[in-house]
Amino acid sequence: MYRRLLELVLVCISLAQWGWTQEVRIWNRTVQVHGFVSQGFVYTNQNNWLTMNTTAGSGAMTEMGLNVSSQITDKFRVGAQVYDRNLGQLGQWHPSLDWAVADYRFTSWLGIRAGKVKTTLGLYNDSQDVDFLRVFALLPQSVYPTDLRDATIAHSGGDIYGNFTLRHRLGELSYTAYAGYRNDSIYSGYPYLISQWGTHLRGLGGLQYGADLRWNTPLRGLLVGASRMNQDISGKGTGFVRLFDPAAGIGPYYEFSKANWTNQFYGQYGIRRLQIDAEYRRYLRDQVILNGTSENITDVRGWYVSGTYRISKRWKVGSYYSRYTVTDAFGGLLATFTPDQTDTSRPENHLYDTAVTAAVDLNRFWDVKVEGHFMNGFANAMYPDGFYPQQNRQGFKPNTNALVIKTGFHF
Amino acid sequence: METSMRPSIQPLAIAVFVLFAALCALAGDVKIIANPSVKADSISVGELRRVFLLQCKALNDGSPVVPALQKSGPAHDAFFRQYFGRDYEEVWTYYQGLVFTGKASIPKQLGSDDEVVEYVAHTKGAIGYISPTSSTDGVKSLVVLPDEGKRERTLVKRVEPEYPDTLKRLHIGGIVRLRVTISPKGSVDSVELLGGNPILAENAIKAVRQWIYSPGASQSKVEVTLSF
Repeated sequence: MYRRLLELVLVCISLAQWGWTQEVRIWNRTVQVHGFVSQGFVYTNQNNWLTMNTTAGSGAMTEMGLNVSSQITDKFRVGAQVYDRNLGQLGQWHPSLDWAVADYRFTSWLGIRAGKVKTTLGLYNDSQDVDFLRVFALLPQSVYPTDLRDATIAHSGGDIYGNFTLRHRLGELSYTAYAGYRNDSIYSGYPYLISQWGTHLRGLGGLQYGADLRWNTPLRGLLVGASRMNQDISGKGTGFVRLFDPAAGIGPYYEFSKANWTNQFYGQYGIRRLQIDAEYRRYLRDQVILNGTSENITDVRGWYVSGTYRISKRWKVGSYYSRYTVTDAFGGLLATFTPDQTDTSRPENHLYDTAVTAAVDLNRFWDVKVEGHFMNGFANAMYPDGFYPQQNRQGFKPNTNALVIKTGFHF
Repeated sequence: METSMRPSIQPLAIAVFVLFAALCALAGDVKIIANPSVKADSISVGELRRVFLLQCKALNDGSPVVPALQKSGPAHDAFFRQYFGRDYEEVWTYYQGLVFTGKASIPKQLGSDDEVVEYVAHTKGAIGYISPTSSTDGVKSLVVLPDEGKRERTLVKRVEPEYPDTLKRLHIGGIVRLRVTISPKGSVDSVELLGGNPILAENAIKAVRQWIYSPGASQSKVEVTLSF
């Protein structure tokens, strides 16, 4: 693993020698090449976190991407990015096509993108993998759970997008509407969570469509917006023929959505070196599981407020408070085994996280971040948020403090 | 006493003057230039911001534009501070976000004012920024205007209407109300009679057609009232 990482870093450094914009000429066209790689180390004092053995300290936190793009005409652009990550038990070094788009912009108020497109949802969904874009080593997990990135990150389909300048000094509106197919990696959080019950998904995905509207208000630096996403998700694989009974043997498994939607509201204010973000996300998932025998309604509500400040050209600091609650209701066969989880004051149904970060850009290509997390709760529900029983077989403790050190290289 | 003070006041005055001059220079130390193919002679702050944030590929008049950045330097810092209200590092992060999510490519980055002028001069639709003292050979300078609504078109040249002697003698007067359509360059495109004394209207319209206003980002309309 480390040899592979070292090789990639060397390749990145070589590519960075090309210059500031990393441009090459191919077939008489300018092609931009950009990439990033980041490596993290996480230590927690209590529960193991993010599918890593963090109580002993874990460096199984690597992600990387490499993209090429070219402006074919003044209105037409193409590009693609390959992405790979290893986060504890997630990703497991299986590279994926992160995005591959053909983008035609007719005018400022109308453009189309087609291919595999990053999904616009809130402030950071589409850029959540790109560590160096933000001060924090980990985005607030209440709204951007890194173990569930596949659930929202991209769709194979298309977007229409554009922006309008409003009359009467009312600012600008930007919109994106999209539809496509979401295809999760089987090495993502949800398949890993349900593998503890003997269910192994071979495929998870489905229709994803929605829209985002954001308003750059007349107050310079103030942005507010809202996103909506609907999904129709099904999963197939294998599981125990009889619930929780391995002796009964293995058979086909399927599950599908009855309802699956996300609403997100957000605001951002930036002035000079200060930036303040706030977001709220509600995610509701009504899933028919266990071959149609049971139903699980998961209702997730998360929000955070964050502030970042660039002290100097190289040094940045930031902090956020992130709050996540989850309730679960059950129907069918599963209801006879499992009571509904509705009390969000219990640590298994919430995760409150206060984070503080200091980040330094060692040079234009290389940064280091040190981040502390002070968490209450572990939100171990039917839908995960960082804490998994597989790594916490001794049971969960209510509080977890974490130290995250991350370094990233990009060009 | 008075004579002994003179030598010390003079350097102080010079220092204050130099500081003032430097501050004045800092206040407006960036010039916006464009390829001659760009039809507009002026650009609003909002339009400039949209172009450099890659939110539009053409100006309001339809001219396609391609932004060009500098890598560093005083003009570079002044440009982002003056027109974006943010340090360049924040805008650079914005560009990187677009690149790594597949939503745009980073604009051309150039090393000096001379390189920007060279690139802008030879690239159709190119628009860039340089220090005000730099040469602008082969490119055109764009006037940056406050955003629409934050400014009024000011009258630069006024031609008074002729008040015929006959009408004056007969005490035939009154007002004429007109709606004036002003081109982005400031000339009067058309004049529409809204009301008033029709006998005086012809001369009023004839005079107003010769008026010149300050340039604007787009065509605009104003109502004027002339008294006779």
